[in-house]
Amino acid sequence: MTREEFLSELDELVELLPGTLKGPERLEDLDQWTSMAIVGFIALADTHNGTKLGPTQIAKCSTVDDLLNLAKVDPAS
Amino acid sequence: MHASISAIEYFLPEKTVSTADLSAEFPEWSVEKIDTKTGIRDRHIVGPEECSSDLAFAAAQKLFESGACRPEQIDFILLCTQSPDYFLPTTACLLQDRLGISTSAGALDFNLGCSGFVYGLGLAEGLISSGQTSNVLLLTAETYSKFLNPQDRSVRTIFGDAAAATLVKSVDAPRPLIGPFVYGTDGRGGPNLIVPTGGMRKPRTAESGVASVDEGGNVRSPDNLYMNGAEIFNFTLTAVPESLQALLDKSGFRLEDIDLFVFHQANKYMLDHLRKRLKIPEEKFQLAMSHCGNTVSSTIPIALKHASVDGKLKAGSLVMLVGFGVGYSWGATLLRWS
Repeated sequence: MTREEFLSELDELVELLPGTLKGPERLEDLDQWTSMAIVGFIALADTHNGTKLGPTQIAKCSTVDDLLNLAKVDPAS
Repeated sequence: MHASISAIEYFLPEKTVSTADLSAEFPEWSVEKIDTKTGIRDRHIVGPEECSSDLAFAAAQKLFESGACRPEQIDFILLCTQSPDYFLPTTACLLQDRLGISTSAGALDFNLGCSGFVYGLGLAEGLISSGQTSNVLLLTAETYSKFLNPQDRSVRTIFGDAAAATLVKSVDAPRPLIGPFVYGTDGRGGPNLIVPTGGMRKPRTAESGVASVDEGGNVRSPDNLYMNGAEIFNFTLTAVPESLQALLDKSGFRLEDIDLFVFHQANKYMLDHLRKRLKIPEEKFQLAMSHCGNTVSSTIPIALKHASVDGKLKAGSLVMLVGFGVGYSWGATLLRWS
């Protein structure tokens, strides 16, 4: 999964149109960054490359880029 | 002698809470959103005077009325519940009398949640293969709705009340029909699915009944059930694949040898993810929760019953059961449908 594809999946999780999220967005500004979306992100990271992420790790992220780093999404992909 | 599942019946209380009902209560969650995430259309909820023993009694009565066996043939009752009628006496003892089962029968309750059916089968198989008993009535019964705060949508969308009655009987077979078993426990996960008060550690008080709002907008008090859904999901991502692989290693079977996978019916979103990660074909993966929700220890027998009625199980079918949840506790086993 490329960075763009991963971002598109994140768009869907937080109920935004595909192509909306770019990376620098702050999670606290996303209305639909809810507990459901966090579960979806855990599933997405697991699907992407088998990364197992706990909510405690995710809670330390403040931006979408932080989430991508945590999920080990290659910035050049 | 070996143990075999001979019959399964289940009972759901009459009152239902539909997804449309919940969407009306929580307008920020659409019917479509709840459906997509949970795969649940209806949850059956007990009335104020209805308890786990009442549900278990009704399920067992259906089993006896089906002609599977007579009450006097039962020589052991195993009851899995986390919402017993009383601290004491044991609910299984009360059911012995109410069901007209012989006073020479053994009876015990055991406290597990979503892994409970697999553990119950393990106990029943041990009792039978060691020659201690011949006909075990394995009951699973929960009334989690009594623990739920009405304003906590995170759990109200998922859990429903139910009971199942499974007859595990001794059969003359050349090899085991249930097993092997793999088990797992990690008590560090205890705080992630818990009713904090009401036991001896923290008795209920006026203060413990005071509710507050969490960061997700859900309302609950320490007297209510709390579930950290993200932590539970994360736990299953490791525990379920590992127990599945351990069971395959122990049994010598390959994934493709299994005719049907029956996992604890937690919610559709979780099960869809696990199925895809484990590369299990959709047609071999049982889903049976839309009409009753996550009924804790009863989900697996309910799913088995539906698989049987729908013709997905035939004599000789090899079925993998995986239960996982509160504790954390998990277990998996194989059974030959007969």
